This record gives sequence, structure tokens and C-alpha cells, in this order.
Amino acid sequence: MKPTPGGDAIGPLRRWARGHSNELGLLIAIAVVVGITTALSDAYREKPLQNAQEILRQTSLLGVFALGAAIVIISGGIDLSSGSVIAFSGSVCASIMLALAPVDEAGNPMTQNLGMGIFAVAIAGTLATGFLIGTLHAWLITVVGLPPFVATLASLVGLRSLARVFVQEVTASLTATGKTTQIYINDESFSRLGTTWWIPLGIFVALSFCAWVLMSRTVTGRHLYAMGGNEAAARLSGIRTDHLKWLAYCLGAMTASIAGILYMAEVGTANPQVQGRGYELNAIAAAVVGGCSLQGGVGLIPGTMLGVLFLRIVIDAVAKIVKVGADDYEGIIVGFLVVLAVAFNELRQARRGAGKQFFPGALGATAIVTLALGAGLLCAIMVGKNAGGGMFAVSLVGLGVVAFVQHRAAARRAAAPDSQLP
Amino acid sequence: MTAEPLIAIRRISKRYPGVLALADVTLDVARGELLAIVGENGAGKSTLMKILAGVITQYEGEIALGGCAVRFQSTRDAQRAGISIIHQELNLVEQLSASANIFLGRERRTRGGWLDQEAMDRTAGELLAQLECHIDPRQLVCELRVGDQQLIEIAKALSFETEILIMDEPTSALAESEAARLFRVIEQLRSRGVTVLYISHKMDEVFRLADRIAVLRDGRLVETVERQRTDARKVTHLMVGREIEETDLSKPRAPGATVLSVEHLWLPWPGHARMWRLEDISFSLARGEILGIAGLMGAGRTELLECLFGASADAPRGRIVLAGREVAFKHPADARRAGMALVTEDRKRLGLFAEMSVGANITLCTLAQSARLGLVSRRRENERAAGTVAQLNIRTAGLDAPVTSLSGGNQQKAIIGRWLLSQPKVLLLDDPTRGIDVGAKAELYRLMDGLCRAGLGIIVTSSELPELVALCDRILVLCEGRQTGEFLRADATEQRIMEAATMRRASAAVGQT
Repeated sequence: MKPTPGGDAIGPLRRWARGHSNELGLLIAIAVVVGITTALSDAYREKPLQNAQEILRQTSLLGVFALGAAIVIISGGIDLSSGSVIAFSGSVCASIMLALAPVDEAGNPMTQNLGMGIFAVAIAGTLATGFLIGTLHAWLITVVGLPPFVATLASLVGLRSLARVFVQEVTASLTATGKTTQIYINDESFSRLGTTWWIPLGIFVALSFCAWVLMSRTVTGRHLYAMGGNEAAARLSGIRTDHLKWLAYCLGAMTASIAGILYMAEVGTANPQVQGRGYELNAIAAAVVGGCSLQGGVGLIPGTMLGVLFLRIVIDAVAKIVKVGADDYEGIIVGFLVVLAVAFNELRQARRGAGKQFFPGALGATAIVTLALGAGLLCAIMVGKNAGGGMFAVSLVGLGVVAFVQHRAAARRAAAPDSQLP
Repeated sequence: MTAEPLIAIRRISKRYPGVLALADVTLDVARGELLAIVGENGAGKSTLMKILAGVITQYEGEIALGGCAVRFQSTRDAQRAGISIIHQELNLVEQLSASANIFLGRERRTRGGWLDQEAMDRTAGELLAQLECHIDPRQLVCELRVGDQQLIEIAKALSFETEILIMDEPTSALAESEAARLFRVIEQLRSRGVTVLYISHKMDEVFRLADRIAVLRDGRLVETVERQRTDARKVTHLMVGREIEETDLSKPRAPGATVLSVEHLWLPWPGHARMWRLEDISFSLARGEILGIAGLMGAGRTELLECLFGASADAPRGRIVLAGREVAFKHPADARRAGMALVTEDRKRLGLFAEMSVGANITLCTLAQSARLGLVSRRRENERAAGTVAQLNIRTAGLDAPVTSLSGGNQQKAIIGRWLLSQPKVLLLDDPTRGIDVGAKAELYRLMDGLCRAGLGIIVTSSELPELVALCDRILVLCEGRQTGEFLRADATEQRIMEAATMRRASAAVGQT
């Protein structure tokens, strides 16, 4: 490839825009979704401030550990354990508080008024737990030689189970009421950590800033990108890849521990059975929507922040528009957005969107039926049975027309050179 | 030519965003001939061949095969029309057997619809035997040597009843004996009437094999010449569009004090019948000296360099003394700190960071020197990178340009620049000119000569003997992990080096009979 003349001459603004097209796209997408929601639902118009605060709080809770997931992904790994680390960390934090709380006459710990000292010890202990979990992952991956997927999958399954047993043991030995599956922390000032909108937001922004400095301004960050892009070359360049992995997985686990504290504080309960369940995939999804490549070596912290915000805004938009049972739709939205974001990026980068047939052959035909069934099912649930049937028929015909038009166009292109024959 | 051409390529152009890879190429190929296609990297040779083989389907222009216009939509179309391509990087499934690879996608079946393994193995064995490839067709591809793997690709092409075989730099990964076998196979194919299109950088091969030579430059066909009516110098001139001045590397250098000495180096090979990858290697290197390491594929050249650099999986035994201090590197980081630098053989896999810019690739090893308290100063980083770009004359659109936009030679210079920034005492270069075009090679030779005269000790390996003979003060020859010769510049001839490099195999063969 030849250097384009004047390759350096493009303005700094345009160069910035070219390097951050993903972030700009997300900003536009966020604006569009907010606009649509404002048009369709009264909630944003009636209580804009309250809604904004709630979205930011939710974004921050997810964002804290999505940052860790992004760093692990950029460095070429994957951390599937964060949901269970959240549950385990919440349990550890609550257990430390319970152990240090003063006891009433009946022998039950009183958690209404714990004080800063106990908070500090509990939080420090939880972060240390995160550090140890990250260390375990790094050891399994670099020394034992397990693939990151397997090492963190083991934690995903194992830590939640361990947390449940642990909570039962702790409640059995520390409370007079005996064995339970949850630990309640009734301290109001502690619960503000998760419920007052600006506290999680402040933590998220501060952590994001640190992560951004680490990834884009330090030697270590550059080496993390290098390892994610080409691990063998990084090692042969004299980079201590083992140390970097230790760092990356510790950051992954410790950000999940922070999130675990916040989620536990939010509801005042350590409930390892349900807390953080499935969240690891939300964090990975947010990083991917934010532009991180699962191949490693690619992704930006600002992109990840916007990815989290976008995810939460779409979830909130659906909640506002559907109104009931919105929590149940979360998974559908996340799944849909991940596919959409990655497919969009692929098509944009490969510049082959133009001539591509989306529904070729038998696979395409079956995919059309699957998509139409999905759309019809969703419509039937949200609107009504008749509407669902209509949606199914419309999708089937619509996608069928798309497939037919693309097929015709491809056939015409293939035939074109022959028609020019002498 | 009076007869109708087998392949008529008419005004083919291929545009990539920002680059015109092929511009208006018109070319005829006669039935049964061997047409060599030469040109520098990025000249468009591979693009043209990929269009012919149905790998690239979007292009302008027309192709006629035996008088009928064709437009392949896939490699399958091309195969059906009798065209097969053997890519530079082989397309084999490493975990499947040789015969499974040959019949991949066209597996033979028994009447019941099950895989007919026996028939496939038998046919594959026959095909391979015709190609002088005496391996068990049931052997897994990953256990085979590169030369045998390549013959599997050729056998696969033959099983399609290929009439036109395209080979993209087939000898780039072969040892000389394997290359010689490949040339015999090519002769055999031609006697069966197969038309061969042969892409290569290497003039000796081209002049040995070709009937005609087509020269491409910057996507255009410069000229098609008959082999008899030209010579290597003329073709090189057509390729680069300028006369390459014979780089004069013969001026005597003055080696200084010993900077590296290796005594009785053994590198274990756990689980292998030979036990040792390297056996009892001893040599020394002076400041201002270029030491060449010659040897066939599998002789242990790369292993030796990796072992000196602390990058081998198992720790070596023996003594390594660097600048008067005995060293035992456990990690490349130790080696770098002590003043060693290794430019790896496989640029794409072990050297480049494809997602990063030219600048970031250059400064990667020494980023800490542009940083204060771990925070990188962009200004200082850019200064250092710009200095390297200027010093090594790296042709790039800018420091922010993606490193993958550079040509092979400039990528290699960027990687060498990365290591020069670490101010090494000893520079290890593992086959640095592999896959690099002629002009860039000469530039690399001059660069190495200059660095050496500035006092750096350089160890270089190469699969091309003439290169080593021209460049090195001394040449060490390895054969199957053993040191089988050492020649001073005055005594080093290709003949003698080759004899040393094949010494052990020859004696082993004698022992067997």
C-alpha cells in the first residue's frame, strides 16, 4: 500500500472522529433511543430528573464491573466469573459486618448502626477477596495452563455455591436465630452506597478515569493491548505476560467485588442465591457493544462506558414502554443488542455489506422462519394473540421479500459479465 | 503466439479502498507452459492469481479459459474448471490425516453412505507416491514437515484433475532438498501437460523453471519476456524499475572484543527420540562482527536464537557469557535488559502487533523510556518513533498509520527499529529477509552492515545461502541440532556450507544401508 499523499494533512478533529467512530455511533444511538422513549412514554417528560438519576445509578452499578470485563477482554482473555464474584463478595462483606457488629441480649448482631470503622474493614476484606480470586484465575491460566474460559467458568459455577454454603454457616454460628440463606444488613448509611444515585455514579466515574489512564496513558496499558493483540510477540518483546494477566484478572475480580458491595448495600441483603446471577454476560455484552473485540487487543474505556450506558438506556426504554414485567425482557434486549452491535461493526469494517445476501439458501429460509416466529411471539406476549399472528405473517413476508430482492440482485451481478461477451 | 491461449486475461483491474492493486492487466498463458510471475511485494502478483483461482470474485475485466469467458464465484468454480491454487500459507486442517485433507469436501463413500477410509487412503497413497512423497497417508498433517504438507496440497490439486496449477511462492518455507524435490515434481506435472503459474521472488528458481517471465510492478504488467532472451539482472531491473546497485559488503570489517560466547550449549527436547534440540554448540561473537547461522529446515537455527534470548520452553544447559558476565535468561525480558535483541522469523505471528500503529509498534519494547512514573509522554514517544523512522528510512504514511499498511520490508525495518531503540549489544536476526522484495533486501543488508560497523554484534540466520555468504564474517553450520561446520568469509562457499549442512543426514543414510 502506498502512503496517500497528504495523509498527515487531515485535521485533528477528523482524525479523532475516525478513531472514535464507534463512540460517536453509540452517542447518536443513545440520543435516538432517549428521543424515541420521550416521544412514546410520559415518564421521561413528567420526571426527567428522577429517571436520569435512576438510569445513571443502574449504569454505574453495571459499569463498575464492565470496566474490569473490558480490561480482561482487551488483554486477550475472558472473565466469566463476575456474576458469582458479585454474590460471593456481597456475602463476604455482609459476613464481616455481621461478625464485627455488636450483639443484643438475645445474641443477635445489631446491624443498624455499624459505623465507619466496620465499613472500612468489611470493604477492605471484600477487596482482598477479589484480589485473591483474581490471583487464583491468573495462576490457573498462566501456571496450570487452563484456557481463561475454563478457569473462570469453574469460578462462575463454584463461587456461587461456595457463597451459599458460606452464608448458611455464618448465620448458623453468628446469629441466635440460626441458619438462613441470607444476611441482612440494616444500616441505613451503608445502604446509601447503592441507593443514593450519585455515590455509585461517583465510584463508576472515578474507576473509569483510573481505567482510562491505565489503558491509554501508561506503559502497562500499552502492554495489555499488545498482549491482547499478539501474545507470543508480546512475550518475545520482553513483556512479562504472566504479570499482566495477573493484573488483568485481579482488576476483573476486584471490580466485581466492588459491584458486589454496591449491590449488597442497595438491598441491604447478601443473597448469594440470586445476586448478580447472569451479570457476567451483561458486563461482557456491554464491553462488546462498547467496541471491545473478543479476539483481544481492541477496545477503549470511553467506548465501554458508553456501551454500558446504551445497554441500560435501551433496557429502561423498553421498561417504560412495556411497563409491566420489564425485568424479564432484559435478557432479550441484551442478546439482541450484542448481535446488532457486533454485526454492525463487522459490516462496517469489512465494507462488504453492499453485495451480501443475508438469507442465502436453506439456512437463510430457516432463519427467516426463526426470526418471524421470534417477532410474532414477542408481539403476541406484549400486545395480544392476534397481533402476534399478524406480526409473524408480516415478518415472514417482509424478510422473504428482502431475501428475494437480494437473491435477484446477486444473480444479476453473476450474470452481468456473460452478457458483455462478444 | 499463434495458437489460442489457454488463459486469456483481459484488462483486469482490482481496486481496494485507497489502493489500486491491479491496473488493466492483460496477459496470455499458453497451454502447457510454465509462466513465472515476478514482482516486488505489493506488485499485485497474488491478487491476480487469487482472481484466477476464484478467491477474489469482485474485479473489473474479463478472463477467458480456452476461449470461453469465465467469471468464478468461488474456488469451487475454479476447481471445476481445472484451476487450483497453492497458497503461500498452506490451507490444511492440521488435526486431520493427509488423505482426509486430500479428499476434504469430496470424501469417498461406501454404498451404505459411510466414509470409505480405505479407498481414500489407498488413492492418497498413490497420488503422494507419484510426487516422491513417501509418507503414510493416515499420518496427521501437523506431524509432517512443511515440504510434505505442500506436496499434500499438490496431491489434492491433482485429485481434482487440475489443468492449471497456481503456486504462490512455494519454496519460501522449504529447505533446499525439499525445494529440489518440488522442482522435480513440477517437471513431472509439466510432462503430464499441466500448465503452471509460478509466483516467486527467487531469480534462480525462476530461471531454472520458467518458459516465460511476466513482470508486475505497482499493479501493472511491465513486460512478459522469454527466459532465453533475458537474464536475472534485467528481470530485477524490470521489477524494481531501477538498477539495484550491487551492495558492496565486501569491505573488510574489524571485529572488536568478544561480546558473546557460548560454550557447550545443550537444549533438551523432552519426549522426542533425539532427546536434544541442540547438542554441544560452542561459538563466540565479537563486537562489529556478523555471524551467520546456516542450516536446513529443522537444523535448530531458530531454536538456537530463541535459547540465547531466554525464549525457549526448556532451559538450556551450558555456559552463555554476554559482555563478560555469565547469563541464564529465564524470560525474554531478562535478555532484553542484558542487551540482547531478537527479531523473530515469523513476522506476522511473532513480531507484529497488527492492531497497533507504526509508532506504537516501534516504541513497544522501550516505552518505559518515554514514560515518567508509568505515564507515557506522547510527545517523547513520537520523537523516538520518528527518529527510528528517519534513521531506518521506513516508508510510512505517518506514525499513526496502521502497521499492516506497510510493505513487508518496511514492517521488518520497524521491528528492527523497535529493538535498536533498546540499544542492544547483540542483535539476533532470524531469517530477516524472508518474504521481502529485492529492493528491501538490499536495504536491509546495508542496514546490517552499517550497524555492525557501528560496533553491534549480529547473529543472522537465513534460508538463502548466497545471502549469508555475501553478508557474514563467519558462518556456523548446523545440522539436526549439531554444529557441523564453521567457515570464515574467505573459505565460505555455498558448496562447502551445503555439504556441512547435509553431513549428518548423509552419514545416517549410509549407516542404514
